[in-house]
Amino acid sequence: MSALRETLLAQKPGMAARYPDVFRPNLRARLNVVLVLGGAVALYVYALVTLDFDPHRILGGVLRLTDIAEMMLPPTPDGWARAELYGVALGQTLAIALLGTSLAAILAVPLGFLAARNIVANRVLHFLTRRALDSVRSIDTLIWALIWINVVGLGPFAGALAIMSSDIAAFAKLMSEAIETADRKPVEGVQASGGSRLERIRFGIVPQILPIFASQILYFFESNTRSATIIGIVGAGGIGLYLSEEIRVLEWQRAAFLIVMVLVTVAIIDQVSQRLRAAMMGAPRG
Amino acid sequence: MLVIDGVSKRFDKHLAVDNLSVSIPKGQFVGVIGRSGAGKSTLLRMINRLADPSAGEIRWDGRVVSRLQGAALRDWHRRCAMIFQQFNLVGRLDVLTNVLMGRLAHTTSARAMLKMWKLEDRSIAMAALDQLDIAPLAPRRADHLSGGQQQRVAICRALVQEPEIILADEPVASLDPRNAKVVMDALQRINRHFGLTVLVNLHSLDLARGYCDRVLGMAAGRLVFDGAPAALTTDVTHELYGMEAHEVMDHAEMPNVAGAVVATA
Repeated sequence: MSALRETLLAQKPGMAARYPDVFRPNLRARLNVVLVLGGAVALYVYALVTLDFDPHRILGGVLRLTDIAEMMLPPTPDGWARAELYGVALGQTLAIALLGTSLAAILAVPLGFLAARNIVANRVLHFLTRRALDSVRSIDTLIWALIWINVVGLGPFAGALAIMSSDIAAFAKLMSEAIETADRKPVEGVQASGGSRLERIRFGIVPQILPIFASQILYFFESNTRSATIIGIVGAGGIGLYLSEEIRVLEWQRAAFLIVMVLVTVAIIDQVSQRLRAAMMGAPRG
Repeated sequence: MLVIDGVSKRFDKHLAVDNLSVSIPKGQFVGVIGRSGAGKSTLLRMINRLADPSAGEIRWDGRVVSRLQGAALRDWHRRCAMIFQQFNLVGRLDVLTNVLMGRLAHTTSARAMLKMWKLEDRSIAMAALDQLDIAPLAPRRADHLSGGQQQRVAICRALVQEPEIILADEPVASLDPRNAKVVMDALQRINRHFGLTVLVNLHSLDLARGYCDRVLGMAAGRLVFDGAPAALTTDVTHELYGMEAHEVMDHAEMPNVAGAVVATA
């Protein structure tokens, strides 16, 4: 046995008595883990039973799914005129996503700072901002679309407003969290050099959160392209309107063509935003 | 005996370590000095195999460790403990668990994943903390400790690995002088009492003179000095540090300089 091992083991008998907390098995903590895990499993089983979970129905449904897939082949717009129509609608969907996302991002900036604990010291203001954001966030894009359609009428304008409304709160929350976790040291550096409150935020915090926020905007734009398709179905304009129409009249080949269009668009956006994100996160100039 | 035989490390076009050869007998306390970017860290990381050499061979007791893989490599990590400048503890875990990381090689994965440490491992970890006078800190979260305390936790983690050699990469560069002394004293005690080989990168010449049996000087990836600390003359220092030499020299000459400035002011 090495000298080191000997020394480390020499006090073994007395150790447990000297530091009882370290050696007492933490039964309470382990019991809690078991209880939480057991509770989660029980909840799952209960949910599956009450929701009529039935493997046979999945199996039957899968067979029907292959029927539909067969009817979708090959995807076709049935003529140039309709393809052009689809193209315009796709452009509308992209416009809805872009407008909605950018409006939400711009409006979220002041709200994000208001909701950040390390920027706004006023507890009441902070609390009110947070709760307001929570309430807005709890309403889904689809519901917002239905609301805005009633306010401004059918069409893409309602769609852009719907996306903006549901994303403002999400953006503001993500931003306030980024601000709260930002490193305090640069802020102190600016403060110690005589920076005002606003200057501390501008030079101490903004450079830290800018890449995070920009990357979130790109991600939201991507995901909003999909959302804009869905809200089109309820009448907020764009390609979703055609998609729901073609499915309703069982024109599966046209529906498939529309789906492929959305798929390709989302893939392209994904590629472009990945490059943009990498460029933004990448090495600083100079 | 640790043998470094013609080892080089290339990062793209930059040669961090350039055909370096040196032998270190067991039980020696060796300091590696040189300016930032001289390749000291890269050398240590290659010995521990956190980095792989681009050329050359590293041997421990005649066994080539620079080409180990899998379980054999993990065993080498266990026998060759590493201490870092920034401590590299898991800040969100308590001190005891951090030290027990050093017992991972002695523990089955199932036990480790469920944190069901053996009684022996716990008492070894506590004994190590006790050796460094920080046993009462065992339940505290690692990131709530001061730098000096964190580095002592890191030394405990290294000790409980039951290593044969300890590598320390600028272990005191982030610490104040008093804590630096505590940490260096601990490394010296480990070296003297347990006969472990210690290889430590240092920035301060004073520390190298005070603690090391032997000093290696590196510049631009090459070994430019190898000898007793007493042989570190002004000329050698200038070769190692160039323009920065005055910053790492003994402070004995400083009062004169300061006095002159005050007098003219």
